[in-house]
Order: sequence, then structure tokens, then C-alpha cells
Amino acid sequence: MSYIPGQPVTAVVQRVEIHKLRQGENLILGFSIGGGIDQDPSQNPFSEDKTDKGIYVTRVSEGGPAEIAGLQIGDKIMQVNGWDMTMVTHDQARKRLTKRSEEVVRLLVTRQSLQKAVQRSMLS
Amino acid sequence: MREGACKLLAACSQREQALEATKSLLVCNSRILSYMGELQRRKEAQVLGKSGRRPSDSGPPTERSPCRGRVCISDLRIPLMWKDTEYFKNKGDLHRWAVFLLLQLGEHIQDTEMILVDRTLTDISFQNNVLFTEAGPDFELRLELYGACMEEEGALAGAPKRLATKLSSSLGRSSGRRVRASLESAGGLGSSPILLPTPAVGGPRYHLLAHTTLTLAAVQDGFRTHDLTLASHEENPAWLPLYGSVCCRLVAQPLCMTQPTANGTLRVQQAGELQDWARVHGVLKGTSLFCYRQPEDADTGEEPLFTIAINKETRVRAGELDQTVGRPFTLTISNRYGEDEVTHTLQTESRGALHSWMEALWQLFFDMSQWKQCCDEIMKIETPAPRKTPQVLAKQGSLYHEMAIEPLDDIAAVTDILAQREGARLETPPPWLAMFTEQPALPNPCSPASVAPAPARTHPMPWGRPRTFSLDAVPPDHSPGAPRSVAPLPQQRSPRSRGLFNKGPPRTWLQSPV
Repeated sequence: MSYIPGQPVTAVVQRVEIHKLRQGENLILGFSIGGGIDQDPSQNPFSEDKTDKGIYVTRVSEGGPAEIAGLQIGDKIMQVNGWDMTMVTHDQARKRLTKRSEEVVRLLVTRQSLQKAVQRSMLS
Repeated sequence: MREGACKLLAACSQREQALEATKSLLVCNSRILSYMGELQRRKEAQVLGKSGRRPSDSGPPTERSPCRGRVCISDLRIPLMWKDTEYFKNKGDLHRWAVFLLLQLGEHIQDTEMILVDRTLTDISFQNNVLFTEAGPDFELRLELYGACMEEEGALAGAPKRLATKLSSSLGRSSGRRVRASLESAGGLGSSPILLPTPAVGGPRYHLLAHTTLTLAAVQDGFRTHDLTLASHEENPAWLPLYGSVCCRLVAQPLCMTQPTANGTLRVQQAGELQDWARVHGVLKGTSLFCYRQPEDADTGEEPLFTIAINKETRVRAGELDQTVGRPFTLTISNRYGEDEVTHTLQTESRGALHSWMEALWQLFFDMSQWKQCCDEIMKIETPAPRKTPQVLAKQGSLYHEMAIEPLDDIAAVTDILAQREGARLETPPPWLAMFTEQPALPNPCSPASVAPAPARTHPMPWGRPRTFSLDAVPPDHSPGAPRSVAPLPQQRSPRSRGLFNKGPPRTWLQSPV
């Protein structure tokens, strides 16, 4: 999923709606993120393009809200509740996911299997 | 409620309370007017309906009206466009504005909470979910953004009282009509603003900043950006630099998707078995006909025996064909799946039952043609959260301001800042802390921002705002041949703690749980 700076990014996305789980004082989603424009993209084990500074899902807790909603490890998060996640710092990304006033977050995620499935169906 | 708001306004001492009270007052007035107008319309319709209308004959009604639905708008966000000098330099007084959104659908008016905006915010975000019930597919949701300046606009000594007394007398019929007429005539180009102009001089004044109208075409189970029509210009005291768009999630749930529209006993011909008819309890809801074993199963949440899809491509026929003797009152439902066509034949109990099933199906097809994309899948609506009391805008600042570190920086200061922002989250030391505690074995040969070891601080950095160094710039005391000390000096400013911009290529790939 490489991109050319200045050109619009297009991707096939999957909608994932996660209902946060209350654990005491906190609302958790049950996954971990990696990446950001302030991070080193070459260390990202999930990205196809090693210059991609997007936010990726690095771990999904078993039985957690994210797993139930269908989020998978290796997914790239494009948007959270309308906010862009392709050009954010790591901390900004974390903050947009953990707003206390929001109990539901709607993500747009993309994964390589989606991209390939669309390509296959277009060829047939 | 109006009386209460008037009294509150008279008693207000703080500007913020006055703003909140004025907002409630103005919204109340608009609501009253709008409901009065609606009452008028309904009375007129009733009068017209009683005279000169023939009772409809049997057969399909000529006027079919689409079902009502629930429309919900949420996650409203309006981006602002500050000049970068205003945003970063942050000199001078902090101008603050109070803004809120007014939403009108039909005769219902709802408002969002009041939000305080100053130039450290990049967007105005409203947390509310605004729900309108009883909307038709031809709805027009008018959205208006009102703003008022936080600073005093003029002398306010006796004004609140005058405002209160003027408004506490109820709006008589003649004056109401006059105001309405003036509003209708004032709207030359488009419709006039929903809010009445403030009748009295005193009290804070809200100005219309922008508006837009959303219709069924804008409904989607996702976030979309719409254009705003800007209504005020720079001379207006409450002017805000709006980018010109609004981002939101507008969804609609037609009742035909969430409520069952027909139910009853049916006999369904099993596929392939001409003589085998199963007796089921059918429930038509949304885009499916659910066939349950017993009527009670529909309520208890049992899985139906099977489900027949009913969508825009489905074809339904009151079957005169395949009428075996003793099996009248059938209807067929055909769906095409790729190359195959699957047809179900259903038998109802009587002619009346057949008629009502067909009627329900025709109504469903009509609703689907009217509500369009809303009938593809049920769009989720969350129940609106209870309104929170308006919070005073804490000086948020951006990440840049909060990472400001005094020249006497040390790691404790950094962790303190983060701990304050995040509260108790930092029980475990963050992973990057390891970078500072171990030896910085990697000298930064490429980074021009690194301070040469020998002079501890050549130029103390005035930390007003983050600065980007040009990659060509060479600090005066940098000599490529000089041996670089690897051992850290405790007082030395570590190059990495200067903020996000000056540290050269990022070395980490952090992972955070959420």
C-alpha cells in the first residue's frame, strides 16, 4: 500500500465497529497499535511497504472488544470516527482511540487480503 | 422553561452563564414559533380534509405514503482555519467564542451543547447525538452554527433586566404572526435563520456563522464531509475562521427496517416437494420474511426455520398459476442469486389474509424505493447520551506546547509532563525511557541539532515554539574530525529531549495498548 506524496490515497476498507469495554475507570478496546509519522517505519513487521508510516494493529487481545468486532492483527487503521489516521503521530493515534466520552469507535481498516480479494473478483 | 431562562439571565453575573441562558432562551423561542406554525398547518389540513373528499374505494390506495423513520446525526465536527501566526505564536489575549449548533427537521428544533472555542482548537467537535423521530424520506435537516463573543460587547448594567421583562410577557398571536411574517419575508435568498433576533439590547448576542441543509442523499453509514454556507464575514464580532465544511455521521432508520410490518400464518411449499407444505409463522421485517415454527419464537429470539430475502430485486406475484385445487390464496416470491432463481410459494389462510400480505409487501417496496440506501442494511443509532454540563475550556494546546521543556531539562521533567497529561496511566515506565537511561551509544553524526560535547550549552534555546532546523545548517562548533565523546555528561542536554522536530530520523517503533 505505497503512496505517492501529493496524490490521493485509495484503499479498499472494511468497517469495524468496536464497543469499548469498561474496566474500572478505563474504557478499553483490546488491541495495540504501532506506527505513526514520528516512528521508524522500517521496523513495522506488518506493512507491505516499509516506508508506510501508518497506524497498524500489532496485537489483538483474545475475547476483547476488538476481536469480537472483527479487527485482525496486521490491519492498517485509516480512520477513526471520521478522524484521519494515515498522517498522525503515535500519540495522536492513541488519543483518538481512547477518548473517554466515546463508547463506540467506528474504524475503517484495510488489510492485504481485502485488496487481493477485490482484485480477484475484478478479474473474474 | 422560558420563564426560568429569563429569570436566570437576569441573575447572571458571569458571561458564560449569560451565554448559556441566552442560548436556552433563544432556542425556546424558536421552538415555540415552530410548533405554533405546525399547529396552524395541521388545523388547515384538517379543515381541508373534511370537505370534498370521496371515501376511497376498495383497491390499492392512490396515494401511498412512505413510512416514517428515525434520523440521527452525530460526531459533528467543524474544522477551523487559523492563520499559522495565530496558532503557533499565541501572543496577545486569547479571544474566546461560545458556539453551538441548531438543528431543525420539520417542526422539531434541537440544539447541541455550547462549546467554548479559542485559537488553540483546530476543530469544533460536538459530542452530542441528535435524534429526530418521525422523519420522512424527503426530510430536510437544517444545520446552523451560532457564535457569540466571550468578551463583553458593551455596557450591560441594566440590560439583563430589560431583556427579562420584555421576554417574560408571552408572545401574543398578533405579534407572533408579525414576527413570523417578518422572518418569512426576510428570507429572500434562502430560508431565514431559525433563531429569532435578540429582541433587547442587553445580553450576549449570537450571530449566525454558517448553515447547511442535509437530505436523504447525505445519509450514509459512515462519516462524510459536507460544505457549509458561510453566513458572516470578518466585521462581525463573532466571526470565526471556518474552513467551510462540516464532518458528521448522518444515519436514518426507516421504521419498516426495525419494526415488523406484517405477520401471520403461512404455508410454505418446500423446495422440490410439490405436496409438502410446511406451516410457519411469518414475520415481515426489514428486508426479510422470517418464517418461525411458532408465533412465540419470534418474540423469544429463537432462530427462524428459514428466511426469505425481500429486496429491491425481489419479485412478488399473487399466484393464480400453480393453483392446485384446494390451494387458493397463494403468492410467490422470487429472488435471483447469480445465475439461479429461487422461488418460494406461500399460501395464506384466506383472501383477506392474502390481500393484507400483498398490501404489506407493496408498502415495503414503496418504502424501499423512497428510503433508498437506508434500506440496504439497518444503520445503527446509539441512544443519545445524557447532556453533560458545559465544561470550561481547559487550555488544551497542542502536543507541541506541552512538550516544551525548559533549558534545564531532565528526564524527570519529561515524565512529569506526560504523567500530568495522562493521569495514572504511567505506572510502567514508557518504553522510550530506556533510551535515556542507557548509554546513548549512537552519536548522531547526521543530526545538526546535536550539541557538541565540549561546551555544555552554547546557546540556550528560548523555547517559544518548536523550530525545524534546515538539514544543511551546521552548528558553529561542529567539526567532523573532532572525536565524539560517548560517555554522557549528566548536565548535557540530550538531543532527543528537545521535541519532535529536532531528533533526526526516528529510531523507535512504539506499540501502545488501547
